[in-house]
Amino acid sequence: MIAPKRQNLAGNPSQILPSELIDRCVGSKVWVVMRGDKEIEGTLRRVAAGFDVFVNMVLEDVTEYEITPEGKKVTHLDQILLNGNNIAVLVPGGKPEDQ
Amino acid sequence: MADGGEAPSSAKTPADFLKSIKGKPVVVKLNSGVDYRGILACLDGYMNIAMEQTEEYVNGQLKNKYGDCFIRGNNVLYISTVRHH
Amino acid sequence: MAEEENTVREPLDLIRLSLDEKVYVKLKGERELRGKLHAYDQHLNMILGDVEETVTSVEIDEETFEEIIKASEGDSSRMVPYLFVRGDGVILVSPPLRS
Repeated sequence: MIAPKRQNLAGNPSQILPSELIDRCVGSKVWVVMRGDKEIEGTLRRVAAGFDVFVNMVLEDVTEYEITPEGKKVTHLDQILLNGNNIAVLVPGGKPEDQ
Repeated sequence: MADGGEAPSSAKTPADFLKSIKGKPVVVKLNSGVDYRGILACLDGYMNIAMEQTEEYVNGQLKNKYGDCFIRGNNVLYISTVRHH
Repeated sequence: MAEEENTVREPLDLIRLSLDEKVYVKLKGERELRGKLHAYDQHLNMILGDVEETVTSVEIDEETFEEIIKASEGDSSRMVPYLFVRGDGVILVSPPLRS
């Protein structure tokens, strides 16, 4: 199927652009899965397009999960600027087990 | 962190965040897992970073110290504030 | 702003202030270089002179799990009179200690 043209989206509230989705997450929890064995969860404060196409984000009350051969390593951080370069997946609302 | 009372959702750039952490102790984590702890001198939009009094930690162990150091942004996973230094 | 020349306003200024000085460069693949910085650009491509290259390999002893660090020190570290470093391999650059 050919992707709908942008102007058609205006009348269809069920479709939003990826960048809009990220903007709508500002102020709420997000769960970010990175390339490699890392996940990061935190409250999204600010979003900024980097110099490149990817999105850098400021997150607060952050929990970092690293999957290592020794098991899951959890680190808590106050506030971070996350490089958008290595983001694989962004889930609005945070990690499912938190809810 | 004092944010000058602005609505967080209205600030769409990390410029304020960057201003607020300049000259402060930070942890810079690279994709390789190596941590750099030191005072943030400055950074740019590529996330290139200049740091002072930098300590390099590999697996939580101090491996090196640098007076000043430049970190190339493509290696950076995140820049974090620290609660205690 | 009388000290315009000497201030570090952006990260690359730190490199600029290290021109014609000995620098330490950490590269991907556990490689390290120490040499005089002759030139650089915004990608961190660099030209170094009188360079000492060290390659380190870490092996884990299968029985004791001890880390065996093999550095190409002394005889096996190489001296290169002049070399070009491609910027994408650079992790960190440290200028000499300034008092």
